[in-house]
Amino acid sequence: MRKYLIAFSIFLLHAVVFSQHKSLLYDFYEIPQSLLLNPGVRASYQWYAGVPLASGISVQAGTSGIAVNDIFAQDGLDINDKIRDRAVYGLTSRDDVSSTIQLELLSGGFRDPNRDDTFYSFGWYIEQDVINYWPRDLAVLAWEGNAGRYGERFRLSHLKTRGEANSVFHFGINRQMNRQLTLGARAKIYSGIYHFSSTRNRGYLLTQEGINNLVSNTLVADMRLQTSGIAALEDGADSDAGLSSTLMKRALLGGDLGLGVDLGFTWAVNQQLLITGSLLDVGFMLHSGDVRTFTLKGRATVEGVEVILPQALADPNADFWEDLVDEIEELIPFEEENSSYVSFRPTKLYGSVRYDFGEPSAGGGQQSCDCDVGTTGGAELNNTYRNAVGGQLFLINRPRGPQAAITGFYLRRIGNFLALKGTYTADKYNLANLGLGLNVQAGPIQFYVLADNLLGYRNIANSHYASVQFGLNILSWGSK
Amino acid sequence: MHKAKNYLLGLAIALIGSISCSESQDFDQIDALEVTPTVEASMIYVEAPERIINQLTGVNFIQQTFNFDAFAEDFVSENLLDGVVSYELENTTSKPLEVLIEFLDDADNVLDSEFFTMPAAPTALLRRDVAYGMGGRNIDIIRNTSGIRVSAENLGDNSSTSSLPNPMVILRSSAAFRIRLQ
Repeated sequence: MRKYLIAFSIFLLHAVVFSQHKSLLYDFYEIPQSLLLNPGVRASYQWYAGVPLASGISVQAGTSGIAVNDIFAQDGLDINDKIRDRAVYGLTSRDDVSSTIQLELLSGGFRDPNRDDTFYSFGWYIEQDVINYWPRDLAVLAWEGNAGRYGERFRLSHLKTRGEANSVFHFGINRQMNRQLTLGARAKIYSGIYHFSSTRNRGYLLTQEGINNLVSNTLVADMRLQTSGIAALEDGADSDAGLSSTLMKRALLGGDLGLGVDLGFTWAVNQQLLITGSLLDVGFMLHSGDVRTFTLKGRATVEGVEVILPQALADPNADFWEDLVDEIEELIPFEEENSSYVSFRPTKLYGSVRYDFGEPSAGGGQQSCDCDVGTTGGAELNNTYRNAVGGQLFLINRPRGPQAAITGFYLRRIGNFLALKGTYTADKYNLANLGLGLNVQAGPIQFYVLADNLLGYRNIANSHYASVQFGLNILSWGSK
Repeated sequence: MHKAKNYLLGLAIALIGSISCSESQDFDQIDALEVTPTVEASMIYVEAPERIINQLTGVNFIQQTFNFDAFAEDFVSENLLDGVVSYELENTTSKPLEVLIEFLDDADNVLDSEFFTMPAAPTALLRRDVAYGMGGRNIDIIRNTSGIRVSAENLGDNSSTSSLPNPMVILRSSAAFRIRLQ
């Protein structure tokens, strides 16, 4: 119980923000997984194969407005004061708690044997995305109650939450259209494991002086919670086969199904200036199995049990309390239905401008920059310059509107075996996020590790953001 | 070259590892967390016009027992801490009145009672707050209450009529209680 309380507190009170943006990986095209962020990236590998379960692991975490240290630091302050000041009244309804975890199960890619300008990639990964906005008014209501707060509306719209876990099968095509333009597209089939959404709630709870009685309580509600797969997972956990069996079944197209697409491009304005962009997860899910939708809709004002003579004398056996309860349930019915529904994926947008400069790194620093991309010797061209600098933009569609992040980066290559990328990212949660990415190529073995917000590691409990991605691939550069 | 690669990789990981630290946290503080909102709502409203009182010639013109399960819900009764029940009586009739409010348990045993005497109109509103828990009456009274009986006795006649407009006797009541959520 204690563990759950701590976990719940951390989940709710710390406004953890697991941002989905992967500023370090984006356009770090030495890493094949950058194809997942831009199918139109300059892919110059002949082929690659991700090590199963280890080719792409991504865990990101952050906090908005409050950190673990703000609540649990050994500072001699009363935890109730800290939670009241820093969470209940310190956070706003725009602060959110969210998480994104991605695990690549299989991945690979190969160049078209008949068209050297075309690269195919494919894979299978599992992704979980949960977001929960801080329900400020409801938190105040839970903390203080409604007593004496006459005229204050506790808004139900502050309750916004959405979460899902999907298994994603994908296949992408990357084609260099000409010396300047590379285009890419990726088709995705989503196999839904679970989904829940309650993002369009309206209404309020209002306490006022009563008209007849001393106090009136008014509830105006238009609330909906859609779920799919939750009951199946609960049943699976209780069954002999266990939860893993249900998870695998739903991950292997046995749950909800959806379709999506990623689009991307790289445009070389000249040999040193590149513009890239991508639009990810433009798609939908059809939730048709194990669906449960709960609604609470209506309006009721209550001033307690009312006994007005002489009407109340008509039925000496009347149960006024039950009559009141029945009346409320009739005015604000709580209903459950099982109709299928459609949900849209959280679409993401990336863009970047990149300027390559410095002495060419391949060919001992003597290579001419006048080269063709991706025809032959693609690897040489990818390593043309030792340095790159630029800026990136990230947008993601969220229940309360788009969230943005802007990144400046510097990339440095050391020989043919090492590339480092440093980033500075600012978003609504963190204005000083320094990140460092490392890509190592040891023969055919390629390893990468990317970590965000390095300054936060000085005191991780006080950090507002942390992110780690790493993976292992077997990869072949160079001409076929 | 391999040595250099291994060295660089090790250096990067060691760098991240070495700068990663955390101030000591005391998660046991969660034991001291108290979430105790005060919830307020009306309880019972009774309204009896004087013309009805004149028609009811017994001792009590009102003797009504209400099923009142608001406090009997398991979650509420187990987590009630303290609070106040407020009463307001208004009498605009020509008759002096006595009103008795009794809190009953499941077996209709009287757990607590509140007695009011009101003179005939004109008279001021009679307000009374009764505290339970925290120095007031035993909070178990509220925890075990599942019914309320209201009795009202006419100490006057059955024929007079107040000169005030729409004369009646009104009982208003509300409760504000702290509940422990954590």
